[in-house]
Amino acid sequence: MSGGIARGRLAEERKAWRKNHPHGFVAKPETLPDGTVNLMVWHCTIPGKAGTDWEGGYFPLTLHFSEDYPSKPPKCKFPQGFFHPNVYPSGTVCLSILNEDSGWRPAITVKQILIGIQDLLDAPNPADPAQTEGYHLFIQDANEYKRRVRQQAKQYPPLV
Amino acid sequence: MESEDDMIDDSVSMEDDFYSGDLSYCYDDDPNDNDNDYYFDDDNDYGLLEDDDDDDQDAIVSRRPQLSYTVLKEADIKQRQEDDISKVSTVLSISRVDATILLRYYNWSVSKVHDEWFADEGRVRQSVGLLERPTVQASNAKELTCGICFESFLRDNITSVACGHPFCLSCWRGYISTTIYDGPGCLSLRCPDPSCNAAVGKDMIDKLATSEEKEKYSRYLLRSYVEDNRKTKWCPAPGCEYAVDFTVGSGNFDVSCNCAFSFCWNCTEEAHRPVDCETVAKWILKNSAESENMNWILANSKPCPKCKRPIEKNQGCMHMTCTPPCKFEFCWLCLGAWAEHGERTGGFYACNRYEAAKQEGVYDEAERRREMAKNSLEKYTHYYERWASNQLSRQKALADLHQMQTVHLEKLSDLQCTPESQLKFITEAWLQIVECRRVLKWTYAYGYYLPEHEHAKRQFFEYLQGEAESGLERLHQCAEKELNKFVTGDGPSKEFDDFRAKLAGLTSVTKNYFENLVRALENGLADVDSQAAAACSKTTSSKNTGGTSKTRGGRGKGSSKSGGSGRNVDDTSN
Repeated sequence: MSGGIARGRLAEERKAWRKNHPHGFVAKPETLPDGTVNLMVWHCTIPGKAGTDWEGGYFPLTLHFSEDYPSKPPKCKFPQGFFHPNVYPSGTVCLSILNEDSGWRPAITVKQILIGIQDLLDAPNPADPAQTEGYHLFIQDANEYKRRVRQQAKQYPPLV
Repeated sequence: MESEDDMIDDSVSMEDDFYSGDLSYCYDDDPNDNDNDYYFDDDNDYGLLEDDDDDDQDAIVSRRPQLSYTVLKEADIKQRQEDDISKVSTVLSISRVDATILLRYYNWSVSKVHDEWFADEGRVRQSVGLLERPTVQASNAKELTCGICFESFLRDNITSVACGHPFCLSCWRGYISTTIYDGPGCLSLRCPDPSCNAAVGKDMIDKLATSEEKEKYSRYLLRSYVEDNRKTKWCPAPGCEYAVDFTVGSGNFDVSCNCAFSFCWNCTEEAHRPVDCETVAKWILKNSAESENMNWILANSKPCPKCKRPIEKNQGCMHMTCTPPCKFEFCWLCLGAWAEHGERTGGFYACNRYEAAKQEGVYDEAERRREMAKNSLEKYTHYYERWASNQLSRQKALADLHQMQTVHLEKLSDLQCTPESQLKFITEAWLQIVECRRVLKWTYAYGYYLPEHEHAKRQFFEYLQGEAESGLERLHQCAEKELNKFVTGDGPSKEFDDFRAKLAGLTSVTKNYFENLVRALENGLADVDSQAAAACSKTTSSKNTGGTSKTRGGRGKGSSKSGGSGRNVDDTSN
């Protein structure tokens, strides 16, 4: 079907990103041990928004693209056990625009995905919980939730 | 059930006879007479009911000929869909493609589309995604960048829907193809741009999809017309491709599909008159929860011959001692008292009374099970087993009917030198048997939920049910055993005409009886208080109905025609 379009599109995404990308964000395809570039997996960093409890954290996120991309969305994963109501215990992000059955459109760019996830960090969606701990604290114990978020932000300092 | 009144008007007279408790006249009636009275009426009515060319199957509808539904073939569904699209397209002056999108959005309700559109066209356009002008400015550039693959293309290779967001043809194809293979969601497809809600209609599919994808899309569109529409449902029979359009508010929900499957349009379980949907749901749930237990008990236990408690024998010898307070000692094999066992029965632990009886066929397995259920403390077992065996019996009758239609009728036609068209009465008899088994089956669910304390009702119910059983047995016997003589005979038989008259008569009489039974039960046996005593007192008189004597035929007919006994079901139906 759309065989081959995934890599072409990702090459274009890469070009567009290098030309211009939002401050503090990182997004680049993985480099294999033999030095070749694998366009199908991108290692990214999402900065916590200034003025929120997430500020100061630079959160690693991996995008896994399939051959069906951009017909199908990439799978976006934080490290396992990431603390957030809408992140599965495996680290996979649960977000409407990343759901192939509803919100995904092939014209959504990598930049839009990353910004969308940055927005999600400080604005969780309580209607769609993906982990017990993050969800319960968010609902029941605002102070403890805040503390955990700040603690996690410290856990991921800038990579300089 | 307001329509109940309509349904009854031509049958009030029959009710009179029915409620007088004098059911026997039916079986004595002159079969030829019946034939004229009921058969031609029925055929005409059914002709109206279903315009299918398969006449035999039409006859399975044994209810009042009342047009509350239409069975739709695929072509009919398409036609209706096209008509609705045309209607909306004309009235709103929009394209057929847009009309289709609009109708689908509002679940194919033409009136809803009209209401919403004329109330606030702008809002409707916004939510459905029918844009009047592009959201992006058309550029004059020779080359445009595709929003999906980010490559530049000549204008010819770029297309867009009403919004104007440009995408190349191959990305469009990929997008459309993916969504079509993802399922019926493709019917509400939107522009690939994330912030745009412009609808993508069938015109784009026709332009860009492969023939296989178009085929899939059309199928989803057709399915949507049935599944999203409140007025239609697919026939739930496996493999059946008909849909049924139902006019809500016409009283009873029973629907007979052209595939010969009868179902309740309301709950889509198989047809279950005279029992209501709620009771059926309760009963089915109960069966799924308990039938396994019941089956296990039936298969693995025997009731104590004295106190009837079910006993599982999981080990040990045949000498059983029931638990206190009963403490009855008996033989597991023959269920006889242990005291009577000893050397003369072949030893204590190998009961030859049982072996001998088994050889004589006294311990018939089915008999034993039935016997056991009757004696069981579990009321449920009693009803469940009968419910289930009527179900089985119905399936057997369906198989027999099939066999009849495919093999025997042709043979019979040759043997008796009668054209097959003249043998329709046999098919009709079998269809009636199938239908009666269905009704009879559900009377057991009915009986199960009939309150214990309503003694008069229970008594009357059991009487009606018993009569129904024996009437049906008579018909079944005639259609099975008596017919067999003619199938296996070796030439035309003079008695065949008599047989025809008898079977046709029994069919119509049984049909009437069951229709009355259904109505009586649906009424909740409302007139039992005034009638039960009379009906029961006549039980004995209606038992002696074996033969085909015509003695009382005239009287029965006469009273049913006059309808003058003054009893009216409507008094008590509500």
